[in-house]
Amino acid sequence: MKTEQLIDLLATGIAPAAAHPFGRRLLRAGLVGFVASVGLAALLAGLNPAASLLTSATWMKLGYVGLVALAAGALCARLARPLADWRIAAGGLAAVVIGMAGLAAAVSGAAPPGQRLAVWLGHSWLLCPLLVALLSLPALGITLRALRGLAPMRPLPVAAAAGVFAGAVGALGYALACDEVAAPFVAAWYTLGIAVVGGLGALAGPRLLRV
Amino acid sequence: MTFEDRRGDFDAVARPLWSRAAAGDEQAYRSLLQLVARRLRAQLRRRLVDRPADLEDVVQDTLLALHLQRGAYDPALPLSAWVLAIARHKLVDHWRRHGRHDVARVALDDLGDDEPAQPPVDPGTPRDLERLLGLLPAAQQRAIRLTKLQGLSVAEAARQTGASESAIKVQVHRGLRLLAGVVRGKA
Repeated sequence: MKTEQLIDLLATGIAPAAAHPFGRRLLRAGLVGFVASVGLAALLAGLNPAASLLTSATWMKLGYVGLVALAAGALCARLARPLADWRIAAGGLAAVVIGMAGLAAAVSGAAPPGQRLAVWLGHSWLLCPLLVALLSLPALGITLRALRGLAPMRPLPVAAAAGVFAGAVGALGYALACDEVAAPFVAAWYTLGIAVVGGLGALAGPRLLRV
Repeated sequence: MTFEDRRGDFDAVARPLWSRAAAGDEQAYRSLLQLVARRLRAQLRRRLVDRPADLEDVVQDTLLALHLQRGAYDPALPLSAWVLAIARHKLVDHWRRHGRHDVARVALDDLGDDEPAQPPVDPGTPRDLERLLGLLPAAQQRAIRLTKLQGLSVAEAARQTGASESAIKVQVHRGLRLLAGVVRGKA
Protein backbone atom coordinates (compact mmCIF):
# COMPACT_ATOMS: atom_id res chain seq x y z
CA MET A 1 0.00 0.00 0.00
CA LYS A 2 1.34 3.41 -0.84
CA THR A 3 1.74 5.78 2.03
CA GLU A 4 -0.53 8.26 0.27
CA GLN A 5 -3.30 5.66 0.37
CA LEU A 6 -2.72 5.03 4.04
CA ILE A 7 -2.83 8.76 4.71
CA ASP A 8 -6.13 8.96 2.82
CA LEU A 9 -7.52 6.09 4.86
CA LEU A 10 -6.49 7.72 8.12
CA ALA A 11 -7.63 11.23 7.23
CA THR A 12 -11.04 10.47 5.75
CA GLY A 13 -13.74 11.05 8.32
CA ILE A 14 -11.24 12.02 10.99
CA ALA A 15 -13.00 12.39 14.31
CA PRO A 16 -11.66 13.82 17.55
CA ALA A 17 -9.94 11.09 19.48
CA ALA A 18 -11.05 10.33 23.02
CA ALA A 19 -8.65 11.49 25.70
CA HIS A 20 -6.88 8.90 27.84
CA PRO A 21 -7.31 6.07 25.35
CA PHE A 22 -5.07 3.69 27.27
CA GLY A 23 -6.80 4.17 30.60
CA ARG A 24 -10.21 3.75 29.03
CA ARG A 25 -9.29 0.60 27.15
CA LEU A 26 -7.53 -0.99 30.10
CA LEU A 27 -10.42 -0.17 32.40
CA ARG A 28 -12.91 -1.72 30.01
CA ALA A 29 -10.71 -4.76 29.42
CA GLY A 30 -10.25 -5.13 33.17
CA LEU A 31 -13.96 -5.00 33.87
CA VAL A 32 -14.87 -7.53 31.20
CA GLY A 33 -11.95 -9.72 32.24
CA PHE A 34 -13.06 -9.53 35.86
CA VAL A 35 -16.59 -10.61 35.01
CA ALA A 36 -15.17 -13.51 32.99
CA SER A 37 -12.90 -14.46 35.89
CA VAL A 38 -15.74 -14.43 38.39
CA GLY A 39 -17.85 -16.52 36.04
CA LEU A 40 -15.09 -19.09 35.60
CA ALA A 41 -14.40 -19.10 39.34
CA ALA A 42 -18.05 -19.76 40.06
CA LEU A 43 -18.04 -22.60 37.54
CA LEU A 44 -14.78 -24.24 38.52
CA ALA A 45 -14.53 -23.63 42.24
CA GLY A 46 -17.76 -22.15 43.50
CA LEU A 47 -17.87 -18.63 44.89
CA ASN A 48 -17.53 -17.95 48.59
CA PRO A 49 -20.70 -17.11 50.54
CA ALA A 50 -21.59 -13.42 50.49
CA ALA A 51 -20.79 -13.06 54.19
CA SER A 52 -17.14 -13.71 53.42
CA LEU A 53 -17.02 -10.38 51.59
CA LEU A 54 -17.02 -8.66 54.96
CA THR A 55 -13.96 -10.44 56.32
CA SER A 56 -10.58 -8.77 56.54
CA ALA A 57 -9.04 -11.73 54.74
CA THR A 58 -11.14 -11.06 51.66
CA TRP A 59 -10.27 -7.38 51.76
CA MET A 60 -6.60 -8.18 52.13
CA LYS A 61 -6.72 -10.37 49.03
CA LEU A 62 -8.81 -7.99 46.97
CA GLY A 63 -6.78 -5.03 48.14
CA TYR A 64 -3.46 -6.58 47.20
CA VAL A 65 -4.38 -7.85 43.74
CA GLY A 66 -6.43 -4.72 43.10
CA LEU A 67 -3.37 -2.57 43.74
CA VAL A 68 -1.28 -4.86 41.53
CA ALA A 69 -3.85 -4.43 38.76
CA LEU A 70 -3.82 -0.65 39.09
CA ALA A 71 -0.04 -0.44 39.18
CA ALA A 72 0.45 -2.88 36.31
CA GLY A 73 -2.17 -1.09 34.24
CA ALA A 74 -0.48 2.25 34.82
CA LEU A 75 2.88 0.75 33.91
CA CYS A 76 1.47 -0.87 30.79
CA ALA A 77 -0.11 2.38 29.62
CA ARG A 78 3.14 4.29 30.08
CA LEU A 79 5.27 1.68 28.37
CA ALA A 80 2.89 1.73 25.43
CA ARG A 81 3.33 5.46 24.81
CA PRO A 82 6.42 7.33 23.70
CA LEU A 83 8.01 9.84 26.08
CA ALA A 84 5.99 8.75 29.12
CA ASP A 85 7.87 8.13 32.34
CA TRP A 86 7.32 4.46 33.02
CA ARG A 87 9.98 4.13 35.71
CA ILE A 88 7.77 5.66 38.39
CA ALA A 89 4.97 3.26 37.52
CA ALA A 90 7.42 0.34 37.65
CA GLY A 91 8.49 1.54 41.07
CA GLY A 92 4.85 1.63 42.15
CA LEU A 93 4.32 -1.96 41.11
CA ALA A 94 7.49 -3.04 42.89
CA ALA A 95 6.38 -1.18 46.01
CA VAL A 96 3.04 -3.01 46.07
CA VAL A 97 4.67 -6.43 45.74
CA ILE A 98 7.43 -5.66 48.23
CA GLY A 99 4.94 -4.19 50.67
CA MET A 100 2.88 -7.35 50.55
CA ALA A 101 6.01 -9.44 51.00
CA GLY A 102 6.75 -7.38 54.10
CA LEU A 103 3.29 -8.03 55.48
CA ALA A 104 3.71 -11.73 54.75
CA ALA A 105 7.03 -11.81 56.56
CA ALA A 106 5.49 -10.11 59.57
CA VAL A 107 2.56 -12.52 59.73
CA SER A 108 4.86 -15.49 59.25
CA GLY A 109 7.19 -14.27 61.94
CA ALA A 110 4.31 -13.84 64.34
CA ALA A 111 3.13 -17.41 63.83
CA PRO A 112 4.35 -20.17 66.15
CA PRO A 113 7.37 -21.87 64.51
CA GLY A 114 5.57 -25.19 64.01
CA GLN A 115 2.81 -23.50 62.02
CA ARG A 116 4.90 -21.28 59.80
CA LEU A 117 5.05 -23.66 56.88
CA ALA A 118 1.30 -24.24 57.03
CA VAL A 119 0.73 -20.51 57.00
CA TRP A 120 2.71 -20.25 53.75
CA LEU A 121 1.38 -23.38 52.04
CA GLY A 122 -2.24 -23.43 53.14
CA HIS A 123 -4.11 -26.34 51.64
CA SER A 124 -4.21 -25.22 48.00
CA TRP A 125 -0.78 -23.80 47.25
CA LEU A 126 -0.43 -25.67 43.93
CA LEU A 127 -3.98 -25.15 42.77
CA CYS A 128 -3.97 -21.42 43.47
CA PRO A 129 -1.46 -20.19 40.89
CA LEU A 130 -2.90 -22.57 38.29
CA LEU A 131 -6.42 -21.31 38.80
CA VAL A 132 -5.31 -17.68 38.89
CA ALA A 133 -3.61 -18.22 35.55
CA LEU A 134 -6.59 -20.02 34.05
CA LEU A 135 -9.06 -17.40 35.23
CA SER A 136 -6.83 -14.67 33.77
CA LEU A 137 -6.83 -15.99 30.22
CA PRO A 138 -9.94 -14.14 29.07
CA ALA A 139 -8.57 -10.92 30.59
CA LEU A 140 -5.25 -11.50 28.84
CA GLY A 141 -6.81 -11.95 25.44
CA ILE A 142 -9.13 -9.00 25.86
CA THR A 143 -6.38 -6.73 27.15
CA LEU A 144 -3.94 -7.57 24.37
CA ARG A 145 -6.62 -6.97 21.75
CA ALA A 146 -7.52 -3.67 23.34
CA LEU A 147 -3.90 -2.55 23.34
CA ARG A 148 -3.33 -3.68 19.78
CA GLY A 149 -5.78 -1.05 18.56
CA LEU A 150 -3.43 1.63 19.89
CA ALA A 151 -0.28 0.44 18.09
CA PRO A 152 1.74 0.37 21.33
CA MET A 153 5.46 1.07 21.61
CA ARG A 154 7.77 -1.50 23.21
CA PRO A 155 5.72 -4.62 22.42
CA LEU A 156 7.58 -7.00 24.74
CA PRO A 157 7.44 -4.99 27.99
CA VAL A 158 3.90 -3.86 27.18
CA ALA A 159 2.79 -7.46 26.66
CA ALA A 160 4.43 -8.53 29.90
CA ALA A 161 2.81 -5.69 31.83
CA ALA A 162 -0.50 -6.51 30.19
CA GLY A 163 -0.01 -10.08 31.42
CA VAL A 164 0.57 -8.91 34.97
CA PHE A 165 -2.51 -6.70 34.70
CA ALA A 166 -4.59 -9.59 33.37
CA GLY A 167 -3.21 -11.91 36.03
CA ALA A 168 -4.25 -9.50 38.75
CA VAL A 169 -7.71 -9.17 37.21
CA GLY A 170 -8.02 -12.95 37.15
CA ALA A 171 -6.80 -13.10 40.73
CA LEU A 172 -9.53 -10.64 41.73
CA GLY A 173 -12.10 -13.16 40.56
CA TYR A 174 -10.22 -16.03 42.16
CA ALA A 175 -10.13 -14.22 45.49
CA LEU A 176 -13.92 -14.44 45.58
CA ALA A 177 -13.77 -18.23 45.45
CA CYS A 178 -10.61 -18.93 47.43
CA ASP A 179 -10.93 -19.76 51.12
CA GLU A 180 -7.33 -19.23 52.18
CA VAL A 181 -6.92 -16.38 54.66
CA ALA A 182 -3.21 -16.00 55.41
CA ALA A 183 -1.23 -13.07 53.98
CA PRO A 184 1.88 -15.20 53.34
CA PHE A 185 -0.17 -17.56 51.22
CA VAL A 186 -1.54 -14.70 49.16
CA ALA A 187 1.84 -13.03 48.84
CA ALA A 188 3.44 -16.22 47.56
CA TRP A 189 0.86 -18.02 45.42
CA TYR A 190 -1.32 -15.27 44.09
CA THR A 191 1.83 -13.43 43.08
CA LEU A 192 3.19 -16.53 41.42
CA GLY A 193 0.00 -16.99 39.45
CA ILE A 194 0.07 -13.35 38.37
CA ALA A 195 3.73 -13.63 37.40
CA VAL A 196 2.96 -16.70 35.29
CA VAL A 197 0.38 -14.71 33.35
CA GLY A 198 2.95 -11.95 32.96
CA GLY A 199 5.21 -14.55 31.42
CA LEU A 200 2.44 -15.74 29.10
CA GLY A 201 1.91 -12.18 28.00
CA ALA A 202 5.60 -11.78 27.28
CA LEU A 203 5.67 -14.99 25.26
CA ALA A 204 2.51 -14.59 23.21
CA GLY A 205 1.92 -10.90 23.46
CA PRO A 206 4.33 -9.17 21.12
CA ARG A 207 3.00 -10.96 18.07
CA LEU A 208 -0.61 -10.35 19.11
CA LEU A 209 0.08 -6.67 19.73
CA ARG A 210 1.25 -5.98 16.22
CA VAL A 211 -1.36 -3.92 14.45
CA MET B 1 19.96 25.91 8.58
CA THR B 2 20.60 24.35 11.94
CA PHE B 3 18.73 21.39 13.30
CA GLU B 4 16.97 23.63 15.78
CA ASP B 5 15.66 25.87 13.04
CA ARG B 6 14.33 22.95 11.06
CA ARG B 7 12.56 21.46 14.04
CA GLY B 8 11.12 24.84 14.92
CA ASP B 9 9.84 25.16 11.37
CA PHE B 10 8.17 21.80 11.58
CA ASP B 11 6.50 22.53 14.90
CA ALA B 12 5.41 25.98 13.75
CA VAL B 13 3.63 24.45 10.76
CA ALA B 14 2.47 21.25 12.40
CA ARG B 15 0.91 22.63 15.55
CA PRO B 16 -1.93 24.61 13.87
CA LEU B 17 -2.54 21.69 11.51
CA TRP B 18 -2.87 19.43 14.52
CA SER B 19 -5.38 21.73 16.19
CA ARG B 20 -7.48 21.92 13.05
CA ALA B 21 -7.30 18.17 12.60
CA ALA B 22 -8.44 17.69 16.20
CA ALA B 23 -11.49 19.76 15.28
CA GLY B 24 -12.24 17.42 12.38
CA ASP B 25 -10.50 19.21 9.50
CA GLU B 26 -9.65 16.35 7.14
CA GLN B 27 -7.49 18.38 4.81
CA ALA B 28 -5.42 19.75 7.67
CA TYR B 29 -4.89 16.23 8.98
CA ARG B 30 -3.94 14.99 5.54
CA SER B 31 -1.42 17.83 5.18
CA LEU B 32 -0.05 17.08 8.62
CA LEU B 33 0.45 13.40 7.88
CA GLN B 34 2.12 14.21 4.56
CA LEU B 35 4.41 16.68 6.32
CA VAL B 36 5.27 14.06 8.94
CA ALA B 37 5.95 11.45 6.26
CA ARG B 38 8.33 13.76 4.38
CA ARG B 39 10.19 14.67 7.52
CA LEU B 40 10.46 11.03 8.62
CA ARG B 41 11.84 9.95 5.27
CA ALA B 42 14.52 12.61 5.51
CA GLN B 43 15.39 11.57 9.05
CA LEU B 44 15.36 7.82 8.49
CA ARG B 45 16.89 7.66 5.05
CA ARG B 46 20.42 7.46 6.35
CA ARG B 47 19.58 4.51 8.57
CA LEU B 48 17.67 2.52 5.98
CA VAL B 49 19.25 3.88 2.87
CA ASP B 50 19.66 0.57 1.05
CA ARG B 51 16.09 -0.61 1.60
CA PRO B 52 13.53 1.96 0.47
CA ALA B 53 10.59 -0.38 1.03
CA ASP B 54 11.72 -0.82 4.63
CA LEU B 55 11.88 2.95 5.00
CA GLU B 56 8.28 3.20 3.87
CA ASP B 57 7.30 0.40 6.28
CA VAL B 58 8.63 2.36 9.23
CA VAL B 59 7.05 5.58 7.96
CA GLN B 60 3.68 3.84 7.71
CA ASP B 61 4.06 2.18 11.12
CA THR B 62 4.80 5.58 12.60
CA LEU B 63 1.84 7.26 10.90
CA LEU B 64 -0.50 4.51 12.04
CA ALA B 65 0.72 4.71 15.64
CA LEU B 66 0.52 8.49 15.59
CA HIS B 67 -3.05 8.25 14.35
CA LEU B 68 -4.18 5.59 16.79
CA GLN B 69 -2.52 7.27 19.77
CA ARG B 70 -3.43 10.85 18.92
CA GLY B 71 -5.81 11.00 21.84
CA ALA B 72 -2.88 10.42 24.16
CA TYR B 73 -0.66 13.17 22.73
CA ASP B 74 0.41 15.62 25.42
CA PRO B 75 0.14 19.14 23.96
CA ALA B 76 2.97 20.31 26.23
CA LEU B 77 5.36 18.26 24.07
CA PRO B 78 6.57 19.53 20.74
CA LEU B 79 5.00 17.48 17.96
CA SER B 80 8.43 16.94 16.43
CA ALA B 81 9.67 15.29 19.63
CA TRP B 82 6.59 13.09 19.94
CA VAL B 83 6.68 11.94 16.33
CA LEU B 84 10.43 11.31 16.49
CA ALA B 85 10.00 9.19 19.62
CA ILE B 86 7.33 7.08 17.93
CA ALA B 87 9.53 6.67 14.86
CA ARG B 88 12.47 5.58 17.00
CA HIS B 89 10.39 2.84 18.63
CA LYS B 90 8.97 1.65 15.33
CA LEU B 91 12.42 1.61 13.79
CA VAL B 92 13.71 -0.60 16.59
CA ASP B 93 10.71 -2.90 16.20
CA HIS B 94 11.38 -3.10 12.49
CA TRP B 95 15.03 -4.01 12.98
CA ARG B 96 14.16 -6.65 15.55
CA ARG B 97 11.68 -8.26 13.19
CA HIS B 98 14.18 -8.24 10.36
CA GLY B 99 17.02 -9.85 12.21
CA ARG B 100 18.98 -7.04 13.80
CA HIS B 101 19.05 -7.99 17.45
CA ASP B 102 22.05 -5.93 18.44
CA VAL B 103 20.01 -2.78 18.49
CA ALA B 104 21.49 -0.24 20.86
CA ARG B 105 19.62 2.83 21.89
CA VAL B 106 18.71 4.56 18.68
CA ALA B 107 19.67 8.20 18.71
CA LEU B 108 17.69 9.73 15.90
CA ASP B 109 18.26 13.26 17.11
CA ASP B 110 21.46 13.46 15.16
CA LEU B 111 19.89 12.09 12.00
CA GLY B 112 19.39 13.83 8.75
CA ASP B 113 17.48 16.88 9.88
CA ASP B 114 20.07 19.03 8.17
CA GLU B 115 19.67 17.11 4.94
CA PRO B 116 17.87 18.97 2.22
CA ALA B 117 14.28 17.84 2.09
CA GLN B 118 14.01 15.52 -0.88
CA PRO B 119 10.94 15.11 -2.96
CA PRO B 120 8.90 12.25 -1.51
CA VAL B 121 9.94 8.97 -3.02
CA ASP B 122 7.14 6.60 -2.31
CA PRO B 123 7.96 3.26 -3.90
CA GLY B 124 4.93 1.81 -2.23
CA THR B 125 5.28 -1.40 -0.37
CA PRO B 126 4.33 -4.83 -1.66
CA ARG B 127 0.79 -4.32 -0.47
CA ASP B 128 -1.96 -3.67 -2.96
CA LEU B 129 -4.90 -1.85 -1.40
CA GLU B 130 -7.57 -3.35 -3.60
CA ARG B 131 -6.22 -6.83 -3.12
CA LEU B 132 -6.06 -6.30 0.62
CA LEU B 133 -9.57 -4.91 0.78
CA GLY B 134 -10.66 -8.03 -1.02
CA LEU B 135 -9.40 -10.10 1.88
CA LEU B 136 -11.80 -8.47 4.30
CA PRO B 137 -15.27 -9.76 5.10
CA ALA B 138 -17.89 -8.24 2.80
CA ALA B 139 -19.50 -5.98 5.39
CA GLN B 140 -16.19 -4.45 6.41
CA GLN B 141 -15.08 -4.04 2.80
CA ARG B 142 -18.24 -2.19 2.00
CA ALA B 143 -18.10 0.03 5.06
CA ILE B 144 -14.50 1.00 4.35
CA ARG B 145 -15.07 1.65 0.65
CA LEU B 146 -18.04 3.87 1.39
CA THR B 147 -16.63 5.90 4.23
CA LYS B 148 -12.92 5.95 3.62
CA LEU B 149 -12.50 5.64 -0.13
CA GLN B 150 -15.67 7.29 -1.38
CA GLY B 151 -15.78 9.79 1.44
CA LEU B 152 -19.38 9.24 2.52
CA SER B 153 -20.30 10.18 6.05
CA VAL B 154 -21.26 7.44 8.45
CA ALA B 155 -24.89 8.52 8.19
CA GLU B 156 -24.82 8.36 4.39
CA ALA B 157 -23.15 4.97 4.42
CA ALA B 158 -25.74 3.72 6.89
CA ARG B 159 -28.54 4.91 4.66
CA GLN B 160 -27.00 3.32 1.61
CA THR B 161 -26.44 -0.05 3.18
CA GLY B 162 -29.42 -0.22 5.48
CA ALA B 163 -27.14 -0.90 8.45
CA SER B 164 -27.20 1.21 11.60
CA GLU B 165 -24.64 3.99 12.05
CA SER B 166 -22.97 2.22 14.93
CA ALA B 167 -22.77 -0.96 12.86
CA ILE B 168 -21.00 0.97 10.11
CA LYS B 169 -18.54 2.45 12.59
CA VAL B 170 -17.82 -0.96 14.05
CA GLN B 171 -17.31 -2.46 10.59
CA VAL B 172 -14.91 0.32 9.59
CA HIS B 173 -13.00 0.05 12.82
CA ARG B 174 -12.67 -3.72 12.62
CA GLY B 175 -11.90 -3.61 8.94
CA LEU B 176 -9.13 -1.05 9.38
CA ARG B 177 -7.56 -3.07 12.14
CA LEU B 178 -7.79 -6.27 10.13
CA LEU B 179 -6.36 -4.42 7.15
CA ALA B 180 -3.47 -3.15 9.18
CA GLY B 181 -2.95 -6.64 10.53
CA VAL B 182 -2.89 -8.10 7.05
CA VAL B 183 -0.55 -5.34 5.96
CA ARG B 184 1.79 -6.27 8.79
CA GLY B 185 1.63 -9.94 7.92
CA LYS B 186 2.57 -9.30 4.33
CA ALA B 187 5.49 -7.05 5.20
